[in-house]
Amino acid sequence: MSAVTGPVRAQDDDPAPDDAHAPGSSTPGAPAPSTAGTPSTPGTPSTPGAPPAVGRARRRAARWLMAGLGVALVVLTVLSGMTGQVPVSPAEVLGSLAHHVGLDWGPMPSHPQGENALWVVRFPRVVLAIVVGAALACSGALMQGVFGNPLAEPGVIGVSSGAAVGACAVIVTAGALVPGTWVAAAAFVGGLVTTFVVYALARAGGRTEVVTLVLTGIAVNAFAGGLLAFFTFVADPAAREQIVFWQLGSLGGATWQSVAVVLPIAVVGVAGAMLVRRKMDLLALGERAAHHLGVDVERLRQLVIVLVALLVSAGTAFTGIIAFVGLVVPHLVRMVCGPSHRTLIPASVLGGAVVLLAADLLARNVVANVELPLGMITSLVGGPFFFYLLRRTRSRQGGWA
Amino acid sequence: MRHAARAALRPSAPPTRPLPPGSAVPRRSRRTAAGLVGAGLAVVLAVSACSPLPYEAPATAEPTVTEDAEQATATPADETPDGATACTTLEESRAGGGGSDADPASFPTGPTTATFAEDAIDPIADAPAPALPVTVESADGRDVEVTDVSRIIPVDLYGTLGEIVYSLGLGDNVVGRDLPTGFPEAADVPVVTGAGHQLDVEAILGLDPSVILTDATILTDDVRSQLEQSGVPVLYFDEARTLDGVDDRILAVATALGVPAEGEALVERTDRQICAALDAVPTDTGTPRVAFLYLRGANIKMLFGPGSGADDLVREIGGEDAGTAIGLDREYAPVTSEAIISAAPDAYLVMTDGLESMGGLDAMMAIPGLAQTPAGEDRRVVDMDGSRLLTFGPRTGATIAALVEAFYGVPAPELPAS
Repeated sequence: MSAVTGPVRAQDDDPAPDDAHAPGSSTPGAPAPSTAGTPSTPGTPSTPGAPPAVGRARRRAARWLMAGLGVALVVLTVLSGMTGQVPVSPAEVLGSLAHHVGLDWGPMPSHPQGENALWVVRFPRVVLAIVVGAALACSGALMQGVFGNPLAEPGVIGVSSGAAVGACAVIVTAGALVPGTWVAAAAFVGGLVTTFVVYALARAGGRTEVVTLVLTGIAVNAFAGGLLAFFTFVADPAAREQIVFWQLGSLGGATWQSVAVVLPIAVVGVAGAMLVRRKMDLLALGERAAHHLGVDVERLRQLVIVLVALLVSAGTAFTGIIAFVGLVVPHLVRMVCGPSHRTLIPASVLGGAVVLLAADLLARNVVANVELPLGMITSLVGGPFFFYLLRRTRSRQGGWA
Repeated sequence: MRHAARAALRPSAPPTRPLPPGSAVPRRSRRTAAGLVGAGLAVVLAVSACSPLPYEAPATAEPTVTEDAEQATATPADETPDGATACTTLEESRAGGGGSDADPASFPTGPTTATFAEDAIDPIADAPAPALPVTVESADGRDVEVTDVSRIIPVDLYGTLGEIVYSLGLGDNVVGRDLPTGFPEAADVPVVTGAGHQLDVEAILGLDPSVILTDATILTDDVRSQLEQSGVPVLYFDEARTLDGVDDRILAVATALGVPAEGEALVERTDRQICAALDAVPTDTGTPRVAFLYLRGANIKMLFGPGSGADDLVREIGGEDAGTAIGLDREYAPVTSEAIISAAPDAYLVMTDGLESMGGLDAMMAIPGLAQTPAGEDRRVVDMDGSRLLTFGPRTGATIAALVEAFYGVPAPELPAS
C-alpha cells in the first residue's frame, strides 16, 4: 500500500490541463510507478529538468498570483481598517495612522471613541485575521505536502479538534473563573499534542501511509468528538455556550496581546516553511527519490510536523476553530500556479491572509452590529467551493486519488 | 441588502405581534374578567402594546421607546383598600406621585452588585384548597383538564413557574423543579432538567406528577410529544418574559391550579411591590443608556434588545436600553466590539455568573470594546443574580427594587408585604 503515497502526489503534481502530458495516461487510481516513471512527467515545475514551456508559464502565473494576492491583501487590509460600526471616515483612519507614526497629517477621528475603536478594536482584529489566516493556510500547504495527500488539513487530520478538546477541557474544569489566556494556552497545547499523536499513530515501520493517515485522522476526530461531547454534556449552560462558540471561531476577542503571542509563533512557522519548501518539492517525487537526492525524509517530516503544530495551535488558540482555510487555500493556489512548494507556500500564506480577512470583514459587517461566527462563513463558502474543486479536478484530470 | 439580511436572520415573529398597539384595553377590566382565555388574550394585547415594536420599525427604535412609554400611561395607578398603590409601569408610578429625590451627581459610578435582602418566598396563602377539576386552555391551543394538583412539576428556563406555584402557597405540592427555582423552600426538591436546558422525561415521569406546568423556553418537540403521550396533563404558558406578562402569567397558573382567588391576591401584591419599587426611581435619572450584556468568554458578547424583558426593566427604572437604541431587532444577538462602542452605553448590566465567568471586572474591561464607552470609563457595571433578573414572577418588585438601589444608590425601597 505504500505506493498510494506515490500516485496521489504524482497526479497532483502534473494536473494542469495545459500540460503537454497526455491527460489519458493518468487514469484514476493508476498505480504510482507508471505515472511517476513516465518521462513526460515534469515532476515539479521547479525541478530544473522540467519542460521549459510549462515551467515558464507556471512561473509567470506564480508571479501574477503573488502580485495579485499582495494587492488584494493591501486592498482588503485598507478596506477592513475603514469598515466597522463606529463611524470613522477613511480620511480619519489615514490621519490616525499618520499620527501614530509621528506625522501630523489628516484629520483625527471625530467620534469620541473613534481613536480607541481603531487602535483597541479594529486594527488588532485586522492584524490577527491576517496572521491567523496566513498560519492556517501555510499549515495546510505543509500538511498536504508532507503527507502527500490533498485531504490533509489541520481539521481533517484532527488537529483542530485536538485544540478544541484542550480549550473545552479548560473551559469546563476551570469553571466560571477561566481567563481567556488559559483557554488559548490549553488550545495551543491540545493542538500540539494531537499533531504529534497523529504523526506517531500514522507512522508505522518508518513510513507514513496515506490510508493510515486518513484513518488516523478519522479516529482522532472521532475520539476528540467524543471528548467534546462529554465536555459539552458535563458543562454548565454558560460553559456550554462558550464551547459551542469556540468551535465556530471568532476574531471578536482580538487584542494586541493576542497578536503579540500569535505573531511570533506564526512568523517562526512561516519562516520555517519557507526554508523547507525546496526539500518539500523533492519529497513530492516520492520518499525514495527524495532520499536519493539527499533529503533526510524522516527529519524533514518531523520538522514539518513541528511547524504545523506551531502554526495550527497559534491559529486556533485565540480564535477557535476556523474551518476550511487550511484546506482550500493551498488547493486554489495549486490550481493557478502548480504544485511547486516554492510558490505554493508563500502564495498560500498570502492567500490565507486574504481569505480570512475577507471572511472576517463579512462576519462583522454583513448584519449591522451583529457578530457572525467566522467558522460559519468560511465553511459556508469553503464547503461548496471545495466540492466545486473536486468536480472540476475530476472532470479535467481524472480526480485526485 | 442589510435589511434583507436582517429579515433572513430574524426569528419568526410570534403570531401575536402584528396586532395594532392601540388595541389594548384597560388592564383592570381585563383582570376581573379573567378566565384563562382572557388572560392569554391579555398577554397577547399587553405584549403587542408595550413591546418596542422591534418587528415593525427596527430602524427607528430610539424614538419608539418613549412613545411606548407614553402609551403605557393609559391607566392611572389603582388605589387599593389599604392605600398602597398598584402599578406596573414607571409612568403609572409617576402619575401616582412616585419618584424619589436623588441628585444624578450622587449616582454610583463604579461597579455595584444588585442584591436581595432575602431569597425566601413569601406565600400569599398557606396551602390553599384548590377547586378542582378545572379545564383551561393551554398556550398551544389545547383544552387541558386538571383534576389533581397534589404533585406539581413547574419547569421553565427562568424558574418563573416554580416561583409562582410557591408564591401561591402550593409549594408543598411541588415534586420536581428546574435549576433557577433554587430558593430555600425548593432546595430539597429534585431537579428534573438534565444537563442544562433540557427536560429529562424519565426523571419527570419517575416523580409521578399529576400536572406539569411548562413553557417553550425549555421544551423541545421530542419531550413535548413524550410528555403528552404519557397522559399526564401538560400545560403550556406564554413564554414571553416581559413586565406586562407578569400578572397574566400568575393568573393563568393560579387558574390552572384551581386557586384563582389566591392568584388575584398574588397579582395585587405583586403589582403593589412593583409600584413601590418604581416609586423609588429618582425623579431625574438622567436616562442612562444601559447595555444588558451576556458575557461568555472573551469572544461572545451577547447584547439584549427589544422583547427580551431586559429592555422592559431598563426602561422602567428610568434608563434607555442600548440594544434597542442601536436598532437591534432581536431579543439578543452576538454583537461586535464596535457595535458596543457606537452604542456608547452609560452603564452595563450583567449577570453575576457571567461576570465571574469572565474572571471579574478587570477581565471584563479587557474585552475589546467594553472599556471604550462611557460605562467602561466609569466602570459603571451593575451585576445581578441571573436566576432573578429575567424571571418576571411574583418577586419582580424585589428585582426592580434591587436594580433601582444598584443603579441610583438610593436606599432599597420598602416593599409592601401584602
